[in-house]
Amino acid sequence: MRKRLFLGLGVLAIAAVATLTLFRRGSAQQTTAGKPVVAAVDPASLKGPRQPIFFRHDIHVGRNQMQCQYCHYTVGVSNEPGIPSMQTCMGCHFLYVTGSTPQNKAEIAKLNVAWQSKTPVQWVRVHTLARHVHFPHSLHIKALGPQACATCHGNVARMAQVFKVNNVNNMGFCINCHIERKVSRDCSQCHF
Amino acid sequence: MAGQTEGAGVDRRQFLKVLGTAGAGAAVLGGCSTEQVQKLVPYMVQSEDQVPGIPTWYASTCAECSSGCGVYVKTREGRPIKLEGNPDHPVNAGTLCSRGQAGLQGLYNPDRLTGPMAKNAAGTWDAIKWDDAIARFAAKVAAAQGEFAVINGYGPSTFSSLLTAWTSAVGGFITNYQTFSREPERLANQKTWGRTDLPLYDFAAAKHIVSFGADYLETWGSPVEQQRGFAASHGFHDGTMARAVFVGPRMSLTAANSDEWVSVPAGTEALVALAMAQVIASSKGNSAAASLADYAPDKVASQTGLSAQKITALAQAFAAASPSLAVAGGVGAQHRGAIELCEAVNLLNDVAGNIGQTVKFGAALAESEGYGSVEALFGRMGKGEFQVVLVHDSNPLYTLPRGGNFGASFAKVPFKVSTAAILDETAAACDLILPSLHGYERWDDLMPRAGVRGLMQPVVEPVRNGMHIGDVVLKASKTIGGAAAAFNAPTFEAYLKGEWQKTLGANGFDDSWRETLGKGGVFAPSAPVETPKATGAAVSYTKPAFDGMGDYILMPYPSMQYHDGRGANKPWLLENPDPITKITWQSWVEMHPDTAAKIDVREGEIVELSSPHGKLRAQVYIYPGVRPDTLAMPLGLGHTEYGRYAKGRGVTPLALLGGGDGNGFLPYLSTKVSVALTGDYHKVARVDGMPRQLGRGIIQTMPLAYAAKGMTPEESYKAAGRNFAEENPELEQKALEGWRERQIEQTQVGDYEPTDMPQWGMAVDLSRCTGCSACVTACYAENNIPTVGEEQVFRRREMSWMRIERYWEGGTDGEQIQARFSPVMCQHCGAAPCEPVCPVYASYHTPDGLNGQVYNRCVGTRYCSNNCPFKVRYFNWLKFTDVAWPEPLNLQLNPEVVTRVRGVMEKCTFCIQRIRGAQHTAILENRSVRAGEIVTACAQACPSGAIKFGNVKDPADEVVKWKGDRRGYTMLEATNVRPSVTYLAKVLHVEPADFHGAEER
Repeated sequence: MRKRLFLGLGVLAIAAVATLTLFRRGSAQQTTAGKPVVAAVDPASLKGPRQPIFFRHDIHVGRNQMQCQYCHYTVGVSNEPGIPSMQTCMGCHFLYVTGSTPQNKAEIAKLNVAWQSKTPVQWVRVHTLARHVHFPHSLHIKALGPQACATCHGNVARMAQVFKVNNVNNMGFCINCHIERKVSRDCSQCHF
Repeated sequence: MAGQTEGAGVDRRQFLKVLGTAGAGAAVLGGCSTEQVQKLVPYMVQSEDQVPGIPTWYASTCAECSSGCGVYVKTREGRPIKLEGNPDHPVNAGTLCSRGQAGLQGLYNPDRLTGPMAKNAAGTWDAIKWDDAIARFAAKVAAAQGEFAVINGYGPSTFSSLLTAWTSAVGGFITNYQTFSREPERLANQKTWGRTDLPLYDFAAAKHIVSFGADYLETWGSPVEQQRGFAASHGFHDGTMARAVFVGPRMSLTAANSDEWVSVPAGTEALVALAMAQVIASSKGNSAAASLADYAPDKVASQTGLSAQKITALAQAFAAASPSLAVAGGVGAQHRGAIELCEAVNLLNDVAGNIGQTVKFGAALAESEGYGSVEALFGRMGKGEFQVVLVHDSNPLYTLPRGGNFGASFAKVPFKVSTAAILDETAAACDLILPSLHGYERWDDLMPRAGVRGLMQPVVEPVRNGMHIGDVVLKASKTIGGAAAAFNAPTFEAYLKGEWQKTLGANGFDDSWRETLGKGGVFAPSAPVETPKATGAAVSYTKPAFDGMGDYILMPYPSMQYHDGRGANKPWLLENPDPITKITWQSWVEMHPDTAAKIDVREGEIVELSSPHGKLRAQVYIYPGVRPDTLAMPLGLGHTEYGRYAKGRGVTPLALLGGGDGNGFLPYLSTKVSVALTGDYHKVARVDGMPRQLGRGIIQTMPLAYAAKGMTPEESYKAAGRNFAEENPELEQKALEGWRERQIEQTQVGDYEPTDMPQWGMAVDLSRCTGCSACVTACYAENNIPTVGEEQVFRRREMSWMRIERYWEGGTDGEQIQARFSPVMCQHCGAAPCEPVCPVYASYHTPDGLNGQVYNRCVGTRYCSNNCPFKVRYFNWLKFTDVAWPEPLNLQLNPEVVTRVRGVMEKCTFCIQRIRGAQHTAILENRSVRAGEIVTACAQACPSGAIKFGNVKDPADEVVKWKGDRRGYTMLEATNVRPSVTYLAKVLHVEPADFHGAEER
């Protein structure tokens, strides 16, 4: 029952995204800045760890203009940004979105196999914080706005394969920002 | 979402090997754990009530004993990580004892069986499938043709009713057996009032409490509820407090919290009660006085060792306070005269007019047939009357005395089935094990008394392949057929809902069910109170007999941590020291110093105790709180099975006891033992240091009269004619002139401008604290504190961030010995001595008044610990994280707190994760932190409500009021460290003129 509801919502979302994409496509031809990226890419030639499925943030976020929070939906309410459940992926990819290039089709097929066999995809972690650091995502989103993800994670909209732009484990990286913005530098804010 | 580490860390040898072969320059090893490849595993389908990073709370009911406390289970990503009391529950009102909190370690116990098992011909175990297991069980029950017995240890519940009805449907016999089920009280009530139910005792309303052996703060009755009541009446409030007296041969925790421990020989408590009743009855002109004439104080004085004046004074004080309360029972008073004792106390309550006031019938407390029934059942087993026996939630082969030959009787049953989730002594003797689900994995309920019906719901996927025995019974019914076929509910969950529908009504049941689940059950505001009419039966006293010719009476007493032994497989309970002896991980025999001197033994020496029923070897603990004619031993350890933590650890006094006399209860206190020296020694794993305060003023006290006048502890000491502190000679005073002021001035210097930052502080009311140590367990659970084990305790490497200090007072020169308890955690000093000595600034002061400890910065010099006057900094000596939480115990770890590594200093943080969590929530909700919103784990758990935490700069915060109390003082004030923790002095029922005796100052 609930599964069906989710699928239904997914279908609606696809419709919305698709319309948006069509509209954007029209305008994209006139500009050179937001050049749509759909060409086949060899993930091995890209920076960053290879993932079990070549999930392309550049297509989802860049071309399709999806919001980060659509998938990482707890980033605004919790310390944890959340990894989308397989169901979230299947909401769009169940029937309608099967890929525009052979490469994409092959990758989406992998997703379908994983869903059918009920084995979650084991993504390779790109950004890992040491265990002795507490980074509340929600507070940073609240303070810097929903577009602030790029401050630490870089512009994933341009990344076919996500790689580390900033070493988030380097405390200087955190502190510089805290100095600039005159927010607390008390150790016990993050270390406990 | 689970962070999974691929490839274990590189150990030192491997690291050196790589260095050796590849050369130092080429060694590209990630020094930091974050360089390892980690995987992010998403959910297939996101559960709608789980948000990653945010805890989800479920209401449930604690099944660790039959008190039925309500709990809230804190889960993170589907794993229960902490248990807290349900604030709406009438029994525990939001608090929880150590045993209840340790329920998590039962759920995640590494020794839980992985599935059903059957014993093969060789006597070893075969893992079998559930279908097979149920089929075997059903076939045996059907073939038994009614020669089938059930021992059920679970309390009154829908399940127990089902099991009872089902057992009679298959023609079997069932008995409900709980180890400490207060049979003497029931039998006495039958004689006094003609009813076998137990009353509720209202400790909160009583102004004078006398206990005859009943350890109401430990295991007797419903300890959390009683402790709450005791703190309410005996805690200093409105210029007054109740008075508590304990009569018995040993100073238990309950006695140590009483104002007076009246030491009488075991078995003579009833005489004191009868004499008190006689005094009160004759002064009131009560008709009972005539029949009690033989028990006038002067006639019983010699037997009890008390003077007639003393007994009269006890009686007068009892009668003067109204309402008062006398209680009796418990294992510590279960000698052969236990029924007479309870009758005598019934009479005492009756003549004092307490029936209906503090003794409230009508609550229909949990019924259990108890020992008499199970003794008879084993007798029938021995005669071969049963083909099949099912033991559920009970471990009789451990909890019954070894002298009763229960094991041999049990062995005569051809097919024995156990539902133990962990292989215990009884399960090991069985032929089939159907491991049950833990209380937090199954649907169930528990009805501790009328009007209170607590629900349990599965809050976690079963950790092990267990099945609720309710489901087993329903599935087996299909095979057995006949009358059992009427039990046709598809699952136990469906059956339970069906039964609840009768209460909640079929109309809109789904909604009312959800609502009830959310609340944790149905709780009537209060039970109706009945005042039964006494039958007027005369009470007589006969001196209870003791088995054996030994010189010493053996007094087994129930351990606060292990209860009847069920707690012995939980490391939190093993490591949390016994509140009186401060011994961890061990069992011991308590011996009075005079006795020890007489037979020439010292602490830790192993003696052999022998009784007509058996022998055992135990290490000696010298304790002035036990009578010289008595040796006391805690129950609960000495398991021969029951998992890696319990097996082979310690000894149990049950080895020295014989079976009952057919009187319906087990006389625990009925054996005399002789002592033989063995010449062996085993160090006692004690965590206490110096047992006396030596004038340091750590736990301060004041007489009630002075506290009522609103004096401070300092004024109180001076009024009693004593120096508050040693006076410095003139020269020293000159040198110290202005020193204190300069020190305080120094502490104001720093780069913290005056801000609107909160300042966190704590207050502890020592007149409420009983030393029960629930806060310590809460601290272990909340802060991922590793348990270190006996060997490391010997080296003083225990990690308890929070501990209960226990100091003795008196006990010399004929003075009565008294105990003082106080929780000691990091005091978060304003001028902390640990901070300036840290060479790497790992220990530092936060702007919100905490004494911060940055683990990742700490290099382990231990200077801070050396400089700490309170010794509340604990050094992590070994890789405790590797050994303290074997799978799946690690699932309990709180993800909000880092697990510390070897070589760092750890300490209490005032639960900084809770502070930061509340602050973050407040920011997200565009508000400021509310007063009282942040509760530390210790304050949350405390059944006495003795700890208050909050922002001392917020006038609306309750902690400000507590800190402003006139009784407030800070520990070791002379060190001038200005702690953030204020202690409110303990108030004593002592005449100011006699106050000199206290040696804390």
